[in-house]
Amino acid sequence: MNPLRGFQAILRKEFLAVLRDRTTLFFMFFPPLVQIIAFGFALDTDVKHMALAVYDEDRTAESRQLVDAFVNTQTFRVVQRVHSLDELAALVRRGQVYAGLQIPPDFTRCLRAGRNAQVQVLIDGSNSTTALQALNTAMNIAFRRSLALLLEATGRRDLPVEVRPQVLYNPSLRAPNFFVPGVIGTALQIATVFSVAMAIVRERERGTLENLLVSPISRWGLMLGKLVPYLCIAMTMALFLFAILRWVFMVPIAGSPGALFVASLLYTFALASLGLLVSTRAANQNQAFQMVMTIMLPSIFFSGFIFPRETMPWIFYAISTVLPLTYFIELMRGIILRGTAITEFWRHLVILAVMGAVFFSLCALRFKKKLG
Amino acid sequence: MIDCAGLTKKFGGLTAVDQVSFQVQRRSIFGLLGPNGSGKTTLIRMLCGLLEPTAGAGRIAGYDIARESDRIKPLIGYMSQKFSLYDELTVEENLLFYGRLYGLHGAALRHRRDDMIALAHLEPFLTQRAEVLSGGWRQRLAMACALMHQPQVLFLDEPTAGIDPVARRELWDMLFRFSSDGMTLFVTTHYMDEAERCSHVGYIFLSKLVVCGDPDDLKALPAVNPPGTKRLDVTCDHVTTGLQVVRRLPGVRTATVFGQSMHLLVEAGVSEQSIRDTLRAAGIHEADIRPIAPSLEDVFVALSAGGRA
Repeated sequence: MNPLRGFQAILRKEFLAVLRDRTTLFFMFFPPLVQIIAFGFALDTDVKHMALAVYDEDRTAESRQLVDAFVNTQTFRVVQRVHSLDELAALVRRGQVYAGLQIPPDFTRCLRAGRNAQVQVLIDGSNSTTALQALNTAMNIAFRRSLALLLEATGRRDLPVEVRPQVLYNPSLRAPNFFVPGVIGTALQIATVFSVAMAIVRERERGTLENLLVSPISRWGLMLGKLVPYLCIAMTMALFLFAILRWVFMVPIAGSPGALFVASLLYTFALASLGLLVSTRAANQNQAFQMVMTIMLPSIFFSGFIFPRETMPWIFYAISTVLPLTYFIELMRGIILRGTAITEFWRHLVILAVMGAVFFSLCALRFKKKLG
Repeated sequence: MIDCAGLTKKFGGLTAVDQVSFQVQRRSIFGLLGPNGSGKTTLIRMLCGLLEPTAGAGRIAGYDIARESDRIKPLIGYMSQKFSLYDELTVEENLLFYGRLYGLHGAALRHRRDDMIALAHLEPFLTQRAEVLSGGWRQRLAMACALMHQPQVLFLDEPTAGIDPVARRELWDMLFRFSSDGMTLFVTTHYMDEAERCSHVGYIFLSKLVVCGDPDDLKALPAVNPPGTKRLDVTCDHVTTGLQVVRRLPGVRTATVFGQSMHLLVEAGVSEQSIRDTLRAAGIHEADIRPIAPSLEDVFVALSAGGRA
């Protein structure tokens, strides 16, 4: 008997049904688009133009130069000048500025006398990203100033040790370049797994599954017929997301489109098979929804999407190795940012393919052609 | 065509179908009756291969339902209780889908589609989505879908539940036609009048098949017509009042209301005059009394009461 019996019938029906079902289509396409745009724009860790308040008690050319140095880094902009330390602290406390700079009255005097000149920077530590950036910038300015003065004093023209960093790939260290490939992975994951997870459980709820089960359809035919339409839609969506990456976020794609295609295909195959597995196990749509959430949440945290995997405790690292998203994100960063050839990532591709094949086979083999 | 012996299904501690045995001849219409929850749907699902029997065996067209379901599936059609259809597909797409599911394609598929459209008079709705159809039309479409692959046996689980009387009548006309064309039909229902139309009936009560056979044979069973008794139809005003007094009359075994009349099972010695006298004493002066043959309902009441005792 034909091992794919009924495949064509299911395939055609499922395509028609999916394309007609506006709600499902909307929920497949809309959230990923919002997600990529929101994440792409908002998840920018390059903090610029943070509000800074200045309490300058010195009021000399030197003190003004110091303030200018803060502004010139583009990390800060001066929003207010105050006349007491209390006022400065209050602005930070109320969250009106990220940092406050206090230059004491003897700043220039100490500087000229060659004594230790101190300035105070108050930083709001409640947001670690902005605080870290403010701290680094302030320290950096102090170092540069000190170095320039020291070089002047000793008569040396260059530094004893100099590091000349050269950042390969993503040279401007833009955060979107780092995040958006991960966002594509999570967006594809949400849309694909959710929609496929509903595919069989919906028939179970409506009672049409009974009609399928009394027919001579084969398990492989049923599963493949359910999988392929969603795979096509997921690939269409991947195309959209890559287009947004390239032309909205202006992230240059260093690798080949072919590599992107192969990686995305294997990834969406693994996702769709996972969704299908949920669909064959769940008794109703609600249960399917909960099962998908259980799979989805750890993948956001443990896949390396936000936090580097290498620094995770071993248990989380172990979880990350069974998530398709982990491999897809590494593939995307490799292909999009570093232009890695697909052959150098064959191991990732094989893992995704094996995941997909295992999930899919489980669906077909463990699906009971019986009720109850 | 259908032959089962000792078919049993247990769900945990609950026995849904208990040692059911019966045969259905080719070309016959077999009606399975029984109250809700008596095991009708479970039995039909076992026969269609949707549920594995816990014990016992069944054969359809000579194939074992547990081991040879792959051979049985192409031969049977199944119309489930809820007329499950794909709401987002049109009437025509639903038909084509079920045809393809059974391997039809090309000219054969189109031909079959046209036949089914003509049979169920679905022409006006072809391009409409199934979700807009009313109950009666959904049922017709569901049946047309179940017939796309020309099954030899058609299982219908409560095909007339929730549809109007005209659609019910038309459905039965179609079923008679299928049967005369050589199809075997297995229908569950809880309408007695539908049971009267079947060539064979079975009555399932508390998971057990209480009785099974030709309706006329069943009506002639000694258990239904105990020796020395007769059945009477009494038509009078105030039937419910009449029932109370008649029940107290010695020699009256059972009395049941049937619309404007009551059916009595009385001992042969009870005269029509004694019934009239009793009714008159209760203020009912006009009563039309005549002897009747037992109905299927009488049969089932008599036999399930016997089964319970």
